[in-house]
Order: sequence, then structure tokens, then C-alpha cells
Amino acid sequence: MSKIDIYVRGISHLISSLIVNLVGHLRCFVAVAEELHFGRAAERLGMAQPPLSQRVQRLERELGVRLFDRSSRKVALTAPGRLLLDEARDILTRVDRIYSVAERARLGEVGTVRAGLPSDLGGPIVAALIAAFRARRPDLRLDLRETGTAEQVRALAEGALDAGIVRHPCDSRGLEFGPMLGRPLGVLVPAASELAASPEVHLADLGGRDLVVAPREEAPGAYDDLLASCRRHGYAPDAVHEARHPQFALGLVLAGTAVALVPRVDDTAGVAWRPLVGEPLAWRTSCIWRRAGDPEHLRAITDFVAVATAVLRREAGMTPLDAAPARRVVPRPSSGFLA
Amino acid sequence: MSEAKRGAWGVDPPQAKRMSEAKRVSEAKRVSGARRDARGEVTERIEAEFRAAGVTGCLHVVDMDSGREVAVRAGDPVVLASVFKVPLLVAFHRQAAEGVLDPAEPVTLGPADRTAGPTGISGMLDEVRMSLRDLTFLMITVSDNAAADAVLDRVGRDAVNAAAAALGLRDTVVEVSGRELHESLLADAGVTGFADVWSRLDDPGVAARLRALDPLRTSRSTPRDMTRLLSMIWRDEAAPPDGCAAMRRLLGLQVWPHRLSSGFPFDDVVVSGKTGTLPTLRNEVGAVEYPDGGRYAVAVFTRSLLPVAVLPRADAVIGTAARLAVEALRRP
Repeated sequence: MSKIDIYVRGISHLISSLIVNLVGHLRCFVAVAEELHFGRAAERLGMAQPPLSQRVQRLERELGVRLFDRSSRKVALTAPGRLLLDEARDILTRVDRIYSVAERARLGEVGTVRAGLPSDLGGPIVAALIAAFRARRPDLRLDLRETGTAEQVRALAEGALDAGIVRHPCDSRGLEFGPMLGRPLGVLVPAASELAASPEVHLADLGGRDLVVAPREEAPGAYDDLLASCRRHGYAPDAVHEARHPQFALGLVLAGTAVALVPRVDDTAGVAWRPLVGEPLAWRTSCIWRRAGDPEHLRAITDFVAVATAVLRREAGMTPLDAAPARRVVPRPSSGFLA
Repeated sequence: MSEAKRGAWGVDPPQAKRMSEAKRVSEAKRVSGARRDARGEVTERIEAEFRAAGVTGCLHVVDMDSGREVAVRAGDPVVLASVFKVPLLVAFHRQAAEGVLDPAEPVTLGPADRTAGPTGISGMLDEVRMSLRDLTFLMITVSDNAAADAVLDRVGRDAVNAAAAALGLRDTVVEVSGRELHESLLADAGVTGFADVWSRLDDPGVAARLRALDPLRTSRSTPRDMTRLLSMIWRDEAAPPDGCAAMRRLLGLQVWPHRLSSGFPFDDVVVSGKTGTLPTLRNEVGAVEYPDGGRYAVAVFTRSLLPVAVLPRADAVIGTAARLAVEALRRP
């Protein structure tokens, strides 16, 4: 055998190693070893079964040992397979860590808190929030985005947001919550209407008037909750108009087209805010965040949450709901336990 | 029972059966481009219905004879709730066929230690004596929890899970009895009565603590597994034909009109099913049969945003979503 032959073999061996893509193949190996079933492992990896089998076979060729015993109808680890499983897991853990460190460095995550705020929070409250966070954590960047509740929950789950302020009820699985804050709603009516003449308004007295609210898609739980409470208290609006912008809602109220159900605002030209008898409606708001793996980043997020909660209480007239009396629920047979 | 007969429903389905299943699947995949677009459109419409009803939902609807399907997150793990009574019913009939139990055997249930629930024996005050198979009648038709737990005690949880595995239900596990579920629900919510669980759910942290609502920590399945089970009941493959016929009769006698049934307000369409209900969870699995012979297995599992006990739209969307899927499959 000539020198040149050896050289060529070396190259081809190198090429096959590169093709093998060891980390990807080890991932396949570990998945099959944990499931002991090619179909389930393929499902877990989000790939088809034939390429999975091929990758495991290529890994076996590369390492020169059989990893699985497929002679029976079951898949079993061979002795070398068992030996290599712990090693493979160790490598994958280290690789995952490299990626997460790189991602953090790329996003500058640790130095930034990305938070979502509802669009109707109000300018002064947003300004107070930014000022208070700057005072508490001058070392951090605050990246605020105008985002509805549903979108915030989605973004938090995807890791595109770190924290937010949401209206309840919302899908809260896997997320953390700050204290629940309540803010009673009243009704915004034209100043000239007979409703503005009394200091308080019964929800049922709004009958026959249309309602204008923020779009359902921004916070579907709170929207459904609000309309259910209206009906429960005798107000079934003939039509519900969705207004993305509070100024548009104000326009509909001024024109006498609709009434709006909003937290207390100062009476301005042409409109009056009146409380509702018995406070039947309230927004329930809280901070929400995801558990960050990095302790520094988590501290940044919880600092934001503390600041935001304090600002909502101080500037937005929200009060903790800890002492709220339990809602009365009488399940019917069709909604009873294990119906 | 003869070995030949056992082959039709037993632990190891004969090769021919598996082949025909594989053929059905490949046929389902050979849909034309146009039809696939229509199928994509229907899943979007179903998602829109779920959103409008204030729920997140998983759905699988399959034509029992052609294998054509509509799937919305159909492989996601879901909480079975009372739907666990269906695999229990199947295990019961398999044991009856094997001679392990006598369906006519009388059982006496005292008033003490009766599993809680709103219907059937769960709500009765005095001692009850009836046959095992009549207990299954109450367990399916009115979701009687006391009857279901008495049947589960007799059949055994392991036997239910073994039957599910034998029928190829890879993601279906019955973890708890109705009684254990009730106890865990009250303990996790820190309340003494079921009605109080609802108001505790106003605190968003509570839902995550309730094992009963977490598919990874309670009796679980997938919509796909459940339509497989229903199809096998309708095709006489889940148990011998007389057992499957008995199961179809019970599922057809279920009383609830508000979910799957509400989506098919047609006198000539037969809707059979079994509901599953826990706070914020509303499920139903069943079968829909048209007079032209079209028959569809349906599994819909939903979770509502509002922690509200009475939510008619969330009940009705189960029927609406199922009808959209069935109508898409019936389009030529």
C-alpha cells in the first residue's frame, strides 16, 4: 500500500466523520435508548422513523459497536450501548449548555428585561413604570412592548418576552404570577344623557344601549368575563363594538352610539364617568413572568415585577384582591364532579 | 371461546388486520392536493370556533371505514376525566368474554364510602344492589362515579391499562379512581367541597397545582388514542361482537344533550358518546353515524379560559367542532 492510499483513506474517514454529525446522532441514540421504541423516539425527535434508524445504524458503523439488539420484536440496549448511554447524555448536556450560553450572549438577555404592557394602561402609568424601574435598576435596559394579554402569554411561552402585565383570567400554565390587583369599572356616558344625572348607575339601566370594549382578541378571558357579568346583572347589550384605541371608544360614547365600561377617569368635555351600583365589574390584573434559568436574569425580572406591581397600586388605583370574598359557585349535574 | 375468535379482538391482532390498518392509513395519506387544502381550511375553522368559545381544544375525527381524518393537536396528551370510563368499559367486556367476571354478578353498594358525584348511585341515600353490567349502564349513561369505582374495583386498574395497551393505545393510562381524583382535587385546592374548587381557580396559580387537571399527573390519553378505541368498539375489534354491541348500546343511551350531540341536531343521525368533566375541562368522545352508512369516531378535549362552571358555549363548541370535521370528511 502506497503512502498516497493511506492519505486518501484518511480523508474519506474524516469526511464520513463529518457526515456523521456526532451530536445529532447521539441525540437519536439517547432518544431510542430512553424510549426503547423507534417509532416513539422518532415522534419525540419530530422526525420520521426511517431516517432515525439510518442515523442509529450510521452511528453504530462509526463507533464499530452494535448499540441496540433488534433481533427480537423489542428494542433492547446492548452492553456497549448501556456503556455509551451515560457518556452520550453527558456530551448532550454540555452541548446544550454551550447553546444556551451562546444564546444569552447573543441576545444580551441578562442585561435586558423584555416586558409586555396592555395598550390601555395609560401614558402616565407607562411613564411612572419606566421611571421607577430606572431608579431601581439603572444597570438594566427595559424593552417595553404594547401587547395584549393573549399575545403576552404566547410570547412568554415562546421566550420572546420575559414579563408582562395581563388581565385575568388567562392561560397561566407554566408561568409565575404577582399579586392579583383589582380595579373596579364604571360606565362612561355622554355628559348630557340622563344616566349622567345620577351619582351611580345600575348596570341594568344601560339596557338598550350598545357597548364599546377593547377587542376580544387582546384578552379573550377578561372580555368573556366582562360580558358574562353584564348579562348576569341585567345588561345584555344589543351590539358590542370593539375599539382598539381608547380615543375611538371615546368617540362612540360622545356620539351617543355606545357606552364604555372603564376604570375611573376624570370627566372631560362631553362625557361623564359614573360608578356602578354594587361594583359588579372589575378588571383583575397581575404581573406575569417566566422562570428564567439564569439567576441574574431572574433577579432582573422579579425586580421589574416588584416595580410594576408597586406602580399599578400607586398610580393606577389598583388594590390587592387577597381578601376578596370567594365567588359563589353551584355546579349543576352536567358540570358536577366527573360528569 | 375459540382461539380463532380470540384473534379478532385479542392481545395480538392477526396480521391481516394490521395490514388493513396500514392500508387505511396510506389511503388517508393519499389525499389529493385540493382535498388537503379543504382539510387545512377546516382545521382553521375549528380553531376559530374554539377561540370564539373561549377554550383551547384538541380534536381528532376519523372516518371509521376509510381512515380519513381531521386532526387538531390530536396527539397531545389530554386529561381523560370521566372519559376513563370508556377504556374501563372495554376492559370489563374483555374480562367478561374471557370468563374472568360474570356481568350478571350482583353487587351491593352501601351508602357509606360512596364515591362523590352528581348522578346515579353517587347521589343516592340507601343501599343499592344491582348487577355489574347494570353498574356499567349507570357509569356510561349518566357518568355515575360510585358505579364506575365499583366496576373499577372489580376489573382492576392494571387490567384496564393492559387492555388499553393490547389495543394499541400507546398514550392511554388510567392512573386514579374517581375517589382518588376527588380526594386529590380537594387536597390540591385546599378546600373541603367540590363546589369551592371553582372559586379557588380565580387565583391563577391554583390551576397549575391541581394534579387532576395536568395530563402528566392524572389519567390521560390523546384524541387519536380515543378515536382508535371508539373505532375498534364500532368495528367489533375491542372485544367480541356481542360485547362491542353492548358497549355501543350504552354509549348510545348517554343522556347529555349539550356537547357532541348538540352539534348534530338531525333526527336521522345517531350520536353516541361519553363526556368527561372537571373544572375548566370539557371533553366528549363518541361516534356519529349517518343513514348512508358513514360513521365517524370523534374525540374532543377542551380547556376553558374562564373558571366558570356553567359555560354553554364551551359545551356546544364540542359539537360544533365535531360537525365541521365530519362534514369535511363527508365532502366527496
